[in-house]
Amino acid sequence: MSVPAAAETLALQPRRAALRSRRRGVSYAGYAFLVPWLAGFLGLTLGPALASLYLSFTEYDLIGSPTWIGAANYVRIVSQDGKVSDSVHATLLYVALSVPLKLGFALGIAMILDKGIAGLPLYRALFYLPSLLGASVAIATLWRKVFAGDGLVNQFLLMFGVHGPSWVSDPDTALYTLVALSVWQFGSPMIIFLAGLRQIPRDIYEAACIDGATRRQQFWRITLPMLTPVIFFNVVVQTIDALKAFTPAFIISGGSGGPINSTLFYTLYLYQEAFGYLRMGYAAALAWLLVLAIVAVTAFAFLTQRLWVHYDD
Amino acid sequence: MDRTGLYRRSVLGAAAALGLPGMAAGQAATRIRTYWWGAKDRADRTNKVSEMFMAANPGVTVTGETLGWGDYWTRMATQAAGRNLADLIQMDYGYIFDYARRKALLPLDEFVGKQVDLAGFSQQSIAGGKVDGKIYGVSLGLNSTALIFDHEAFTQYGVAPPDWPMTWDELGARAAALTKAANRPGYWGVTDSGGSGPGLDVWLADRGRLMYTEDGKFGGTFEDMSDWFGYWAGLRQTGACVPPEVQSQDKLDIDTNGLSTGKCALALSNSNQLVGFQALNKRKLDLAMYPAGQSKTRSGQYLKPSQMWSIAATSKVAEPTARLLGYFVSDLAAGRVLGVERGIPASAPVRDAIAPTLDDLGKRGSAYIAFISDKVRDLPPPPPRGAGEVLALMVRTNETIGFRKLSVSDGARQFMRDCDNIIARG
Repeated sequence: MSVPAAAETLALQPRRAALRSRRRGVSYAGYAFLVPWLAGFLGLTLGPALASLYLSFTEYDLIGSPTWIGAANYVRIVSQDGKVSDSVHATLLYVALSVPLKLGFALGIAMILDKGIAGLPLYRALFYLPSLLGASVAIATLWRKVFAGDGLVNQFLLMFGVHGPSWVSDPDTALYTLVALSVWQFGSPMIIFLAGLRQIPRDIYEAACIDGATRRQQFWRITLPMLTPVIFFNVVVQTIDALKAFTPAFIISGGSGGPINSTLFYTLYLYQEAFGYLRMGYAAALAWLLVLAIVAVTAFAFLTQRLWVHYDD
Repeated sequence: MDRTGLYRRSVLGAAAALGLPGMAAGQAATRIRTYWWGAKDRADRTNKVSEMFMAANPGVTVTGETLGWGDYWTRMATQAAGRNLADLIQMDYGYIFDYARRKALLPLDEFVGKQVDLAGFSQQSIAGGKVDGKIYGVSLGLNSTALIFDHEAFTQYGVAPPDWPMTWDELGARAAALTKAANRPGYWGVTDSGGSGPGLDVWLADRGRLMYTEDGKFGGTFEDMSDWFGYWAGLRQTGACVPPEVQSQDKLDIDTNGLSTGKCALALSNSNQLVGFQALNKRKLDLAMYPAGQSKTRSGQYLKPSQMWSIAATSKVAEPTARLLGYFVSDLAAGRVLGVERGIPASAPVRDAIAPTLDDLGKRGSAYIAFISDKVRDLPPPPPRGAGEVLALMVRTNETIGFRKLSVSDGARQFMRDCDNIIARG
């Protein structure tokens, strides 16, 4: 990849020079166009982020003024708060189950669609639909009904004489309904897998066929290795998404994270502390630890990339 | 094409659009912002009274903002942080101390007898709005805790409905009898109310204890709590109350309460919520007092202001806002519009004036308050900060025991420990 990239750069040089000569004239207009975004970024993203970093070292209930308490919030989070461990447990379980299942499902469907069935665009759109709806409040509400004691799922099971539990209101099963909701929204990784599959040169498969490789061998030796950059991307994006998941747990548990903290995602706990009990400082500290965790997970993924991701160069 | 001209025009247009409302607000003589929680019915009544006030006071504009209970306090805290509170604020007994002591509210004593006429108020109903000896809130209506039940179900199945005086054990026995007599799947006697704060409050009062003491501590002991959670465990065992997987669908509002969703015949609630429950139930509902102690003489219930009006300390129109407040609580015409939707009016003349205009529900609510008035105890000290979190802890503990993840005594022990932590943290 590096050689063609360098060649491209060389080819671009004269054009770049031309651009540079014109740049001085248009720069003010350019910056003017940038102002709305820049103002938004500084005022609505960077400013509040820095303020929240400061608040994470304070005790702040919105009504009074923030009081500096040093690292006490952080100390409490890592050593004294039982609900933090409940919420970390629920979140990690959710990530560990939903990400592989969702990606596996997405890859499976993508491979079926890749075989070139008639009406592919229609199927692609249909399978993508849940992803568009997934994060919405309406779907989470629907999900709660579907998995309720007298919901669709149990009515279906009843046809086989099985009396299902009340999935969403049983602490042993509530989290799995959230995992199912996440897996159902396999659309966007599926589209990316589909694009990845299309990029694998057909002649590799032909060569493998001639050498007598079975379907299974082709999958493990060709498809998967060739797809690793796409898998890598999907794993990183989906893991971050799952760590940040909030809406489904909030709606399905009615904001409580119940029954018995079984759906108390980290973000939901953060929300409860901030807006339920007005502990803005503590919630800010929770938020910053989540940021650090996401950075750490992403960095880890990038570091291990060399071991298993094959770039075609 | 004259791009610059177009650009200039649109900028001017935008500036005008941004600037105009601000200018209009500056020109109006007086603009009073009001803020309350509640459903549409309350909004209609409140807006009607505001309009009547505006008609009688030219030059005064009253605007209203309303939200549901859950989001109300979040937005209020945000507005307090931005020094942007509404002028007239609907306040709750559980929050008034917090806001008053942080100087977010205005002491109202200087207006009493002038803009705000409290002559028809009992001392008790004035006391509910006092913090550290000063008046910060004026009652919009009295209410109390109440059992709300499906009267027809009890008659239909031949079970004695809840009445006064009745012990907790009798309540459990009647609920169990109802479940048994009804004998249909998915239907029980009473909600599983081991997570009910008001329920525990009354339970503790029967034992001579306050749920929250004067110095803001949790007043129950380990024995109290293991008896309380044990009582509900017993009800689950006899089938008197709904099972845990049904109870955990209750999101602590009227819509998801077992009584509204047709899962049971009886709920632990508040008297003014009869109106809300009846709106969702086809069958005729009725009110009864919470169970009495073993002696059957005292009630742990008390009359409390269901809501109050407070004025923000930051209000620039405090005097006209006080006039509006007075209009709401003591004007007879305003009282007729407001009815008993917020509870029974604290002002005796207003109460008398609206009595003939009440519908059947309003009459039942009034009769209930009149019936309990000589049986209730004094208003207890206000709950400390963290009380809301203790309620969530009660629900979770009761759930944990219900799903058999913990025994009653382990659950009670854990509750005591977590509760102490919450209160200590504030």
